[in-house]
Amino acid sequence: MTAQVPISVSGVDDSGVHLTSAQDIVVDVLFDGRRIWSFWTVRDTEGDLAAWPRMLTRFLDGAATISVVEHLSGTVVFDEEVSLGSGQGRIAVVDAEGRPLGLDKSNRIVTTFDTRDAAHTTALLDSTEQLLDELRAAGVDAFPAYGTLLGAVREQDFIGHDSDVDLAYVSREKHPADVVRESFRLQRHLKERGYAVDRYSAAAFKVDVVEADGTVRGLDVFGGYFLDGMLYLMGEIGTPFEEEWIFPLGTCRLAGRTLPAPAVPEKLLEATYGPGWKVPDPAFHFETPRATHRRLNGWFRGNRVFRNEWDARYSGGVRDRVPSGGPSELARFVRQQEGQIDLLVDIGAGRGGDALWFARQGISTMTLDYAHGSSNGVRRLAESEGLDLDTSWLNLHELRSVMAQGARIARREGNVVLMGRHLVDSTDARGLDALVRLARMGLARGGRLYLELDVLRPGEAYVAGGRRDIVRPKDLHSVETALTGGGAVIVLSTRSEDTRASGEPARPVARLVAQWQR
Amino acid sequence: MAAVTGDSSKGSLRNRVVERVARTVAGDRLDKLQKRLEDLEAEVQENRQLNIRLAEVTDLVEQLLLPMAARDEEKIAAAIEKYSRTV
Repeated sequence: MTAQVPISVSGVDDSGVHLTSAQDIVVDVLFDGRRIWSFWTVRDTEGDLAAWPRMLTRFLDGAATISVVEHLSGTVVFDEEVSLGSGQGRIAVVDAEGRPLGLDKSNRIVTTFDTRDAAHTTALLDSTEQLLDELRAAGVDAFPAYGTLLGAVREQDFIGHDSDVDLAYVSREKHPADVVRESFRLQRHLKERGYAVDRYSAAAFKVDVVEADGTVRGLDVFGGYFLDGMLYLMGEIGTPFEEEWIFPLGTCRLAGRTLPAPAVPEKLLEATYGPGWKVPDPAFHFETPRATHRRLNGWFRGNRVFRNEWDARYSGGVRDRVPSGGPSELARFVRQQEGQIDLLVDIGAGRGGDALWFARQGISTMTLDYAHGSSNGVRRLAESEGLDLDTSWLNLHELRSVMAQGARIARREGNVVLMGRHLVDSTDARGLDALVRLARMGLARGGRLYLELDVLRPGEAYVAGGRRDIVRPKDLHSVETALTGGGAVIVLSTRSEDTRASGEPARPVARLVAQWQR
Repeated sequence: MAAVTGDSSKGSLRNRVVERVARTVAGDRLDKLQKRLEDLEAEVQENRQLNIRLAEVTDLVEQLLLPMAARDEEKIAAAIEKYSRTV
C-alpha cells in the first residue's frame, strides 16, 4: 500500500494508542494480526490518546504484536511487539471456551463475524430464515435491517466487524398505540410457539432461537411505521420516506441466501448510515436527531428502567445458585405475624431464598422478579423436592404485566400475603405506583402487604452513585402516601435506628405493613 | 449507545452573540418563553407516553373479555395464566 495516511502513532501502552492525526479517519487495531477494535482518530481520541475501551482492559496483560491499520486503504501505520500489564504470556482476547472476541461498533465485546466459521454462519442464516417465516406467519413482512442489510447490499455477506443479526418490519398500522398492540401480538405469537422473547421497548424485542447444536442465539426485531410521510423505525430512524421504498418487499442476497429486503434498500441504508453508507466504517456511531429520539422515547420506550443492571446482577451463574444462609428478617417477621398462609408472593424475589424457605413449610409460594430466571437455581431445587413454588416474571413498568399478575393473585382463595424486600427502594415512583396497583388487585379479597426498604434520614437527599447504584433509599412519607393514595390502610410502620449498637452510622430501614379494605 | 444531537448544544460565538442581543431586546420574556417551551415539551412527552398505556389496556381487555363473555370459568383461568406467561 502506498497511500499517504495522515496519521502518526507514537506508541501503544497500558493507557491506549498514542497518535496524532490530521484527519478524522477510521483505523483498526490488530493483536497478532487479528482485528480487535476500531476507532476514529479524532472523534474517539482525547489529546493524543485513544484510550483502551473499558470492555477490553481486562484482557490487556501480556505481550502482543499490535498493529494500527487504516481501515479503508489497509495501510499499516504502526506494527510493533508491545508489552502490557505484567507483560507475561501472550494477550488472548478470547472467551471462556477460547473463541476469539473483538469489539463491535458500540465497543461491546462480542464474537464478530470475521472470526466465525462456515457452520456457524449457516446456523445463523437458518435461524434468521426461521424467524422471518414466523413473523410472516404472524402478519408482518420483516427483512434484514441495520448492519445486516448493509452487509447484504454492500457485500452480499455479513460485515466482518459486525456481531449480530438485526431484523425489522414496517407496520401497516397508522397509530403508535396500534403499532404497540401489534408488537404485543407478535410477542404472544412467538412465545406460544416456544420462543423466549425479551422486550427492548414497546416496539422492539429480542427473540432467542435455539440452533441445531443447542446454541441459543438472540436476534433483534425492530418495529416501525409511517406517520405523515415519515418513517419511524426503532431504534434510530425518523426520516422523510416513501412507502414505495419499503413495499412491496424485494429481495437481497446474504451469504448465499435470498432474503426479503425493502423495495429500495439503498434508501433505508442512506436513512440509517447517511450518504456515506457505501464506505465501510467499523466504528460507526449513530447520531439520532433529538426530535426523533424524543418521539421514539415517548411512543415506545420506558419499560426497561434498570433492567440491564438487574440482569447483570444475576448473570455469571448467580441465578443458578441456591442462596446459602437462612431466611431474611422480613421473612421471619411475616411468618410470626401471619397464621395460616394460603399464598405467599415474594415480589422482587431475586434468587428466591425466602420463597424456598416458605415453600419448604408447605406454603404455596410464588416469586415475581424483573430479571429473567433470577431464581433458576431455587426453581430447579423446588421442582426436585416437589414443592409448590411458582416462579414468574414481573415488570412494574409494563401495565399489562402488573395487571395480569394482579389478576392471577386475586383468583387465589384464603389468606394471601405479599412481601417485597428492598423492592420499593429498587424501583422508581412509577414502579411504586404499579406495586400499589398490583397489591390492590391481589389483596382485593383480603391479606397483607409487607415491605422492607432503605429510607432517607430526615432532610437527607440521596445522590445515586451511578447506574450500578440500584438500591436507592426512599423518603418513607412519600412511600406511605403512595400506598394510602392507592387505597391502602397502613397497619404498621416502623423505622430502625440509623446507628448500630457499636455507634457506627447505618442506613435506616423501614418496615411497612398495609392492607386494603374489603 | 446512540449519541443524541441537539441544536441547543452548539455553543458557538455566533450563538452567544445572538443570545446576548435577544436577551437585551426581550428581557426576561426570553426566560419565560424558554420555560414555557420546556413545559410544553414535557407535556408533549407525557401525552406520547399514553400510547403505551392505551395499547396495554386494550391488549389485556381484548385477550380476557372473550373468555369472560363465554362465562366459562376454566377458560377465564386459562386466559389469565396464558396472558401472564406471554407478556
